Amino acid sequence: MQRRDFLTAGAAGVLAASPALRRLPGVVRAPWLLLPMDEAQAEHLKAYGVTFRAIARGTRCEWLLNYRGGSFLIPNDGAAARDAALAGVTVEPLDDGPVTQIRGVLQNGNMDAVPLEKAPKVAVYVPPNAAPWDDAVTMALDYAGIKFDKLWDVEVLRDGLRTYDWLHLHHEDFTGQFSKFYLNYAGAPWLAEMVQKNRDVARVLGYPNVPALKKAVARGIAGFVERGGFLFAMCTATETLDLALASEGVDIAASYADDTPMDPAANQKLDWSRALAFQGARLELSPTTPVFSDIDGHQVNSAERRQPLGSFTLFNFSAKIDPVATMLVQDHRQVIPDFYGLTTSFTRRTLKPNVTVLADEPGAPWVKYIHGERGQGTWTFFGGHDPEDPQHQIGDAPTDLALHPHSPGYRLILNNVLFPAAKKKELKT
Amino acid sequence: MRRRAALALAAAALVAARGAAAQGDPLARAFELERRGNDAAAVDAYRTALRAAPGELSALLGLERSLAPLNRGGELLPDLQLAMGANPKSSAVYGVALRYWGAQGQADSLRRIAERWAALEPGEETPYREWAAALAARRDRAGARTALLAGREKLGRPDALAAELAQLAAQEGDWPQSLREWLAAARRLPGYRASALSALRQAPEAQRPALLAQLGQDPSPVAKRFDAELRARWGDPLGGYERLQAALPAEPAQAVDVLRQFAEALRGQPGAPARAAMGRTLEAIAERTGGTQAARLRLDAVQAYLDGGDRASARRLLASVAGRSDVPPALSASASGLLLRLLVEEGRMDEAERRLADAGNTLTADERAEFTRRVALGWARQGQLDRAGQLVANDSSVEGLSLRGRLALFRGRVGAARTALGQAGPYAGSREDATARTALLALLQPIEADTLPALGAAFLALERGDTSAAVDGLDAVGRALPPAKGGAELRVLAGRLAAAQGRVEAAERILRAVPDSAAPAASAAALLELGRLYVLRGRTQDAVPLLEQLILQYPRSALVPQARRALDEARGAVPGT
Repeated sequence: MQRRDFLTAGAAGVLAASPALRRLPGVVRAPWLLLPMDEAQAEHLKAYGVTFRAIARGTRCEWLLNYRGGSFLIPNDGAAARDAALAGVTVEPLDDGPVTQIRGVLQNGNMDAVPLEKAPKVAVYVPPNAAPWDDAVTMALDYAGIKFDKLWDVEVLRDGLRTYDWLHLHHEDFTGQFSKFYLNYAGAPWLAEMVQKNRDVARVLGYPNVPALKKAVARGIAGFVERGGFLFAMCTATETLDLALASEGVDIAASYADDTPMDPAANQKLDWSRALAFQGARLELSPTTPVFSDIDGHQVNSAERRQPLGSFTLFNFSAKIDPVATMLVQDHRQVIPDFYGLTTSFTRRTLKPNVTVLADEPGAPWVKYIHGERGQGTWTFFGGHDPEDPQHQIGDAPTDLALHPHSPGYRLILNNVLFPAAKKKELKT
Repeated sequence: MRRRAALALAAAALVAARGAAAQGDPLARAFELERRGNDAAAVDAYRTALRAAPGELSALLGLERSLAPLNRGGELLPDLQLAMGANPKSSAVYGVALRYWGAQGQADSLRRIAERWAALEPGEETPYREWAAALAARRDRAGARTALLAGREKLGRPDALAAELAQLAAQEGDWPQSLREWLAAARRLPGYRASALSALRQAPEAQRPALLAQLGQDPSPVAKRFDAELRARWGDPLGGYERLQAALPAEPAQAVDVLRQFAEALRGQPGAPARAAMGRTLEAIAERTGGTQAARLRLDAVQAYLDGGDRASARRLLASVAGRSDVPPALSASASGLLLRLLVEEGRMDEAERRLADAGNTLTADERAEFTRRVALGWARQGQLDRAGQLVANDSSVEGLSLRGRLALFRGRVGAARTALGQAGPYAGSREDATARTALLALLQPIEADTLPALGAAFLALERGDTSAAVDGLDAVGRALPPAKGGAELRVLAGRLAAAQGRVEAAERILRAVPDSAAPAASAAALLELGRLYVLRGRTQDAVPLLEQLILQYPRSALVPQARRALDEARGAVPGT
């Protein structure tokens, strides 16, 4: 940014922050609000909420890709300014002239303006018991003030996903082995409750065991994507969703999950054409090793295989040609510290050829953040559990996002929530 | 023939000498490579060392360490087999072997190696412990338990390997069994006590009553000590002390040792009961200790009793210290200070003043001045403002000025209070005192009246602990004053006190009346106070509009960040604080 631009932007920010000055006719009449998403922004995460709510009110907003960290341009309808003030989000009131100038800047660089027209209806797949770990997406949505519904196996299997545009999965084990927590947390009340609830649902819905139930749920979720849904998954839900899809008719669960041992020839029987992102992965055959397969590069729970954390780098895409990928990587930081999860990363070897890599660790055999299409819809997988708690342990206190209002990792999550709001014709990827 | 044999021997000796030199170098090189983190090169260097001396334990252990991060642990076998052949009676080599076969998941080999090792060292627990550890590293807890129980049976001791079995039981959530095993371990080796208590204190809350009941049925001294110390850690420190007292050894030195360990368990525990239990423990130690140390312990006990609200015990113990001739002067001064604190807290000001006069040269000038201020404040709380004023009339210290300012305020002399508090400044005394003094000065500064007896009475009521009267008084004075001239700030204080008292309706009534365009700072404070009160009471639908009003109407207020935080909490956007 030019220094003059910066000074102008700073002055506008001051004007926005002062109610006395805001009452001046020029400011009141400013027809546009720019939510800068570079270092000038005081509340990066809540800015997504302000924009989302503006779209939900029927306001046509714009996402200025690669412009000052991926800023948002919102018509000044009064409500947005109020909302931003309450949330502490930095706004810069603009007249038509400066907006025209911005559009010129967008035209001449690797930037673009994507209209955001319809707020997606958001669902989060959450088990009904209170699990002793946090869910980064739920926390991000709560913090940004984006409304969502919670649903679980019953709703998925009764076609409840049809009414939603966006679905998030987090720390779920779709192989039905309860994240292999039996190995370390046998006897823990929360685990006993989790097992009981899953078994109850399997019984009620007529499945012989939990692995069979979860495979059916995985098929339901894949169907949601096929029909045009937007799927965003993190942590172990990424890897196990694909393992469940690829293992139709194959027993890949340890005996503590379904009373029968894993099929010793399971690796040869997997049908990767059913999976969304991965292929050719090898299952962990030992029931006593808390690892699912070699999809995850970091293997956090295997003392012998665990890899140290580094940092990952977001890729640059062409905003005009590849707006979807560009939207998903909008951030004010390009290099972000890595963070563990039961599934932390995705080995390059196991990625299908049509997968778009959005972020990787340069030189490492794994990537962090991937995206792809299936049928009419899209999926995005983000490895790791909590971007601001790199060593998250079960039982740790949930992350307080008020302490991380600029979190670049959480921004990636919120990019995913907002990207389905983009006008369809603009999506070229 | 003989010459040829001699030449052959000489050649062999030369080869051996070269080998010895080579053996030293590769090992040192291997250590250096490992230290630098070059594991792959370290593996090669350790192998070179092992080729020269297959039984070299340091090289074998180094090779094991260097292979692990490379995920090449499976390559250890040839070197391990050579090492076992060269050093068939080495425990350390067996340990490596157990870890190797454990990592390979070969349970039968693991058992065979463990049994061979155990046969070499009959009566030793280590082979079984390592066998179990190798299985536990594979998360095979059932196998680990079987190994430990096999060891126990073979060793013929019911308490063999108890600590390992205790930890295994805890991992499986079987806390009663874990407790039984820890008791067995601690009975055999008292050094296990600390580990046992550290592990058992993590038992889930729901299981604790049953564990205490289990301990109650065990008459052994070890069980009684477990009972006492777990109670101390689980929120019943006084109950813990009672149980400990019943189990104290008769021999004083042993009893002191037990009591000191109990005091360690209490240290850092919050709350008055923990402090009272600490007082009893220190007193019990003092009874078994002689000389100056005993006096010092008694004074520490008095302090703990006072912190724990047990004034009767504090008084009893102080009397016993005062009656002793072997108390050194420094401790005597401390005793005087504690006694004065006690007397002031009990409102026995005549006696306090007499004690202060009698203390004579046992007190330094600073100590005397500090105790005098305490006595003066005590008189003030009883409404004897003249007497209090006389005591500090000549105290020109910063703390003295501060107290004179408060005494002036109690009399309703607002102007004099402002002057004295302003002279005292914001730095003297503890951080809390300085903050309170500055806040008080800020409250008084906008008030234009020089004398307000009703305000003095309200603050005096607050000093005496009569919060209800203080709330009513401050509210009344606040209503009478213009909002911008201190009235709004006084009502915010009144509302805050009422909220702290749990008088929600009174707090609401007072705080809702505060917002006024002439007093923006107080208005924002009232909105925040009321918003927080509603959040605390779960009335988020009432809190949200008030907090929003604060942010939108007073965006320059220093309270806006706090309002946003409260708003986030009200909406469930962040974890509660």
